[in-house]
Amino acid sequence: MTTTTTDNQKAQAVKAPVQVTFTLNGQQISVPKGTSVMEAATKNKVDIPHFCWHPGLSVAGVCRFCLVKVEGARKLEIACNLEARDGMIVSSVDAEVKEAHKWALEFHLVNHPLDCPICDQAGECGLQDFYMSVGKYDSWMNRPKALKPKALDIGGDLVLDTERCILCSRCVRFEEEVTKTDALGIFDRGDRAIIGTYPGKKIDHNYTTNLVDICPVGAFTSKEFRFKKRVWFLQDRPSICPGCSTGCAVDVYGKPQERHYYRIKPRESEVNGHWMCDFGRHQYVPLNAELRLPKASLQVNQQQKYVLLEDALTELKTMLGQVQPSEVALLVSAQYTNEEYAKFFDYFVTQHKIKHVFQWREPTETIEAFDGLLMRGDHNANTQGLLSAMKQVGISAKPTNEFDKALDSKFKLVIALAPELPDTFPSLAGQLAKLSEAPAYTCVFSLMVSLARIPGFDCLIPMRGWAEKLGSFTNFEGKIRQLEASFPPAVLDALGVDEAVELLAGSRHFQPREHTVH
Amino acid sequence: MTSTASSQKIILAHEGMANSRALSTYKANGGYTALAKALKMQPTQIIDEVKASGLRGRGGAGFPTGLKWSFVPRDITGPKYLLCNNDESEPGTFKDRHICTVSPHMIIEGIIIGAFTVNANKGYIYTRYEFQEEIGYLEVAIKEAYEAGLLGKNILGSGFDFDLDSYVGAGAYICGEETGMISSLEGKKGQPKLKPPFPAVSGYLGRPTVVNNTETLANIPWIINNGAAAFKKFGTEKSPGTKLFSISGPIKRPGVYEVPLGTKFMDFLNHQCGGMLEGKTFKACIPGGASAAVLTAEEMQNVTLDFECLAENGSMLGSGAIMVIDDSQSMTDILKVTMDFFSHESCGQCTPCREGTGWLANILEGIKERHATPKDVDRIYDIAKNMSGKTICALSDAAAGPAMSFIKKYGDEIKHNLGAEHS
Amino acid sequence: MAVFSAQLTDKIKSLVGRYETKRSAILPILHAIQDEYHWIHEEHINALEKDYEFNRVQVKEVISFYDIYSSTPKKPFQIRFCNNITCHMMGSQQIVDHLKDQCERTGFENCEVTPYPCLGKCDGAPVMLINKTRYENVSLENVDGMVLKHVQTHQKKELR
Repeated sequence: MTTTTTDNQKAQAVKAPVQVTFTLNGQQISVPKGTSVMEAATKNKVDIPHFCWHPGLSVAGVCRFCLVKVEGARKLEIACNLEARDGMIVSSVDAEVKEAHKWALEFHLVNHPLDCPICDQAGECGLQDFYMSVGKYDSWMNRPKALKPKALDIGGDLVLDTERCILCSRCVRFEEEVTKTDALGIFDRGDRAIIGTYPGKKIDHNYTTNLVDICPVGAFTSKEFRFKKRVWFLQDRPSICPGCSTGCAVDVYGKPQERHYYRIKPRESEVNGHWMCDFGRHQYVPLNAELRLPKASLQVNQQQKYVLLEDALTELKTMLGQVQPSEVALLVSAQYTNEEYAKFFDYFVTQHKIKHVFQWREPTETIEAFDGLLMRGDHNANTQGLLSAMKQVGISAKPTNEFDKALDSKFKLVIALAPELPDTFPSLAGQLAKLSEAPAYTCVFSLMVSLARIPGFDCLIPMRGWAEKLGSFTNFEGKIRQLEASFPPAVLDALGVDEAVELLAGSRHFQPREHTVH
Repeated sequence: MTSTASSQKIILAHEGMANSRALSTYKANGGYTALAKALKMQPTQIIDEVKASGLRGRGGAGFPTGLKWSFVPRDITGPKYLLCNNDESEPGTFKDRHICTVSPHMIIEGIIIGAFTVNANKGYIYTRYEFQEEIGYLEVAIKEAYEAGLLGKNILGSGFDFDLDSYVGAGAYICGEETGMISSLEGKKGQPKLKPPFPAVSGYLGRPTVVNNTETLANIPWIINNGAAAFKKFGTEKSPGTKLFSISGPIKRPGVYEVPLGTKFMDFLNHQCGGMLEGKTFKACIPGGASAAVLTAEEMQNVTLDFECLAENGSMLGSGAIMVIDDSQSMTDILKVTMDFFSHESCGQCTPCREGTGWLANILEGIKERHATPKDVDRIYDIAKNMSGKTICALSDAAAGPAMSFIKKYGDEIKHNLGAEHS
Repeated sequence: MAVFSAQLTDKIKSLVGRYETKRSAILPILHAIQDEYHWIHEEHINALEKDYEFNRVQVKEVISFYDIYSSTPKKPFQIRFCNNITCHMMGSQQIVDHLKDQCERTGFENCEVTPYPCLGKCDGAPVMLINKTRYENVSLENVDGMVLKHVQTHQKKELR
């Protein structure tokens, strides 16, 4: 045992990263040995202009933009392939470096079409950004530019414009290193070099839009997003992708004035690195106003009728008072936040002594499935959170679909938290039809307007969508994933489950609501 | 293979002999005695001897060979490789090709000694595709060497195993760059690799790899047999040895010549090469391959052919490729041919090279089409200057150097010929 | 129908195992294919992927990168004419222009001329390569004879 401890200590001593300290633009920076100057700069919020370097990919060192001056070195070095060493004195702002950056940009623009007015990347384009930071000169290029194929559909969400491409090779490396699909290559050489798939072949995987993200220019644009909205009109909020149990950190882009969401992009985190899947990218769609249940609804003469939120909740509360706890079923999907579950179970299970809690899950799901990269077969963001919230109120359960149990004729009231993402629930339409036909009084918390078109539901409460909530999900491995900021709901009356419960409990009061325009 | 300084031939000692390529001829003239000697030496002794000889790489960069060998880590297990760079792609250069036609075994002997020194058990001779005839000579020689027990297992009873294969390029200048060559040998596009790591540590397939030029390796047997001191009797203090020069252009006797480094250029041109063709006047000279800066006839008057003197004159010895230009030539055309070449050959990975070479060629196209102004001519210089020293390999500099020199020395001539509206 | 002849198949098989990695065999295999067919057809790439598990993108990258390979149909006699500095000085451009015209004429119909960046034999400038044979000191006077003689000598092999 003693030996083992000593070995462990030795191993730890070897493992402990040796720190090196160097100077960057006059600032002392300490980083673990082996860190590149570029990585060190990024961590310390020093911007060194670059195109080919990407923190999630191998170093290519081909754009030759990130040149820095190292005291004592014969020529400028590229920061991405320069290991920080003790005592090194580096500048990324020296006059010589600035001149080099200006020329680096000039070379990148020699054959770039400069079609910003019709390019979707405008507003978040490296070429534009660096022109503002290191450029602002008149180009000398007065010769005809190279002409290359444009607007190519190369599969997935991708449209490729090879003229705009600056051949940084990020996309090629992504295909090699991340998806390992090797679908992209750079063909020919010199300034005839061109990015592409094998002629006639298309990229076919669930991670294509990452290529749009990592493309520093407008070579790759997203079929889904292109020409929809100029990016400077969009607001973004840090949140968590609800598309599966991985819980990728994302930024949601929307325009609250239009009650519309436009896209989702990955946000770097330990869970997802720099990437997210295309499936997750679509999960903004159900949040758009046109698909949303606009108001609460009650059944009047076998017809759904939009009513005041107050009226719907009052009716639900009345129903609750008229039945025994044993005659109530709670049917709960795993797509709500931990905070919502806590309030929900506290109110219904702890206070109202309702014991019948059933999980509402997709019957065809393969929960253990994993694509090896990010996407999991459990397409619920918060299975773990739901189970632990249930445990808190004394119900131990494993993820199982118990939908049918809630339909038992012994129940006179079914209160359901419906799944909010139809893409994740292929059987949802059938389940909803069945639920609507249940003999019990059915009250469904949902954000989908489609429910209002099913006559059988007795009461519908309009819900906030995931991007309109704060709180957290617990991912497949038990990590708490914080939804850091939210959009105002796309429909005025939408509530979080927690808000609805507070209104039922009387701890919150109805207030006149106005759509907040940010 | 005993030789004296007075014979002045190391590499081409067998030139003109009947059947000079045959193993029997090579052996009859002392061939493979250096290998036998080397196999009994300590690798460090060989490195010391080569270092002491002052032998510098003959491919163009002039890096000291002994030093290069000493970079290969000795204490690691697993494969190591020695690659003979027989790509000879620098325009104006045809000396390695000539060695293949005269003494392919000299190359192979140098390779085996080098491999033994760095403990590499596998090697390749990478030859450019265009040298079909010479590839044949090399492959015959390799076969002969295997049959004679000079390649393969337990070479000459030394316990040292070494396999050598021939690999043929497919038409890409950049494969003459050592890491471009390695990429090509790996079955990839011949794109140079980012350094560090250097090939001595991580080269072919990520293993320690030495890449030596053909002529460099052909010098090794002589150095082993005759010693560093004898080698240093040739050439200058900083550029010891002889060098093969490929000389071409409108001169009487173009060809490959082996002369001691430090030879006066004008003597070489006028005596060995017979001077200019009748009626042609010496105007300028590109002394070290297409990537060397052009020197005027005037500048060439006192030039000696060695690493230092050409560098002092703002050009380079390079691969020893001398292209003589006569006064009937348009410097605009020669610069355009040169820039078209580099633009065609840029591998395309580094932006300044990919775009810069293309841009320069594009501007020269404009000059040819008479769509240019004197300002465009001046810009060639600035563009070239700013694409220098910024890329993974030296191709960008190789294009920029000549461009700047042409503008500096012949800018007025180029401007004068822009066309009526600008001249 | 097999894409490659039996002989070529044997050659490819031996090349696949000849180097440290299979990928290193790409260039030699492409040489072998092109020696037989003068260019590399999509079917060839399909076969390399299907039968030998080469990555088609990697193969295509290599074909497109190197001057020697062609993925478009080529005539059996490829005349590569050096247009680099020395050959340029020695008059290569005029000969290339002449050959381009000639290639439209009877006797030259199986020939195709391409200016080529460098053939590495400047002391014999101007230089041309017809398939694998080098011709030196080419002039307007002797070039037609050189080409026609080459075609006559080699046509049995190349036009089979």
